[in-house]
Amino acid sequence: EAEERKRRRKSRWQGDEKDKTFIPGMPTVLPSNMSKDQEEAYLLQLQIEELSRRLRSNDLGISPNPEDRNGLHNRSPSPEPIYNNEGKRLNTREYRTRKKLEDDRHNCITRMLVINTDYKPPADYKPPVVKVSD
Amino acid sequence: PGLQLQSGSGPATEVLCLMNMVMPDELKDDEEYEDILEDIREECSRYGIVRSVEIPRPVEGVEVPGVGKVFVEFNSVLDCQKAQQNLTGRKFANRVVVTSYFDPDRYHRRDF
Repeated sequence: EAEERKRRRKSRWQGDEKDKTFIPGMPTVLPSNMSKDQEEAYLLQLQIEELSRRLRSNDLGISPNPEDRNGLHNRSPSPEPIYNNEGKRLNTREYRTRKKLEDDRHNCITRMLVINTDYKPPADYKPPVVKVSD
Repeated sequence: PGLQLQSGSGPATEVLCLMNMVMPDELKDDEEYEDILEDIREECSRYGIVRSVEIPRPVEGVEVPGVGKVFVEFNSVLDCQKAQQNLTGRKFANRVVVTSYFDPDRYHRRDF
């Protein structure tokens, strides 16, 4: 049974040695003598840059293959559909995936602002609107 | 913006630290954890002999050092260098893999 699962599932690794992601100004090899704070700030910065790039280029990584582990969060059971008054579905997979990338970026930026008060978020970042309940 | 890296990787060791790969939440479920371990062990074995792999898991209410990082001990510094060259910048579960060499003494003390 374990063997069966192994054969069916796809590795989380994507691409190969020649298929790498380059983020301008952000090398992926770090020196081993960074402090924990420096390391955290660097990894946050890298995630923010990458999430921003994916949002701008609409690179959502939605896989049509349900066994594709890299699309795992996209393959969660679909929620009840929500439609607008013209009958158009609002909570599509694309909408939910973009929302997740935006939420991830928001969380990274929020944490970054705690550890680096001089941090300037990307120009296209808008903090989520907090609704004041009446 | 922010931090500038100038010193490169520093001296190579036989322990590779892989970052920005796993989220603490993904390590809670035993089956998912085993899957992640297998994915990493399998890929690293293409570049050398893997002696051991450590993926610190979160514990409710405890600050566990190194959660979110993956440590792979190779048989030699050369194998480890080969793995770093090939794995750094690749994507794992849609996240860009960041690497650094890790001090073997600290690894064996589990000082993550």
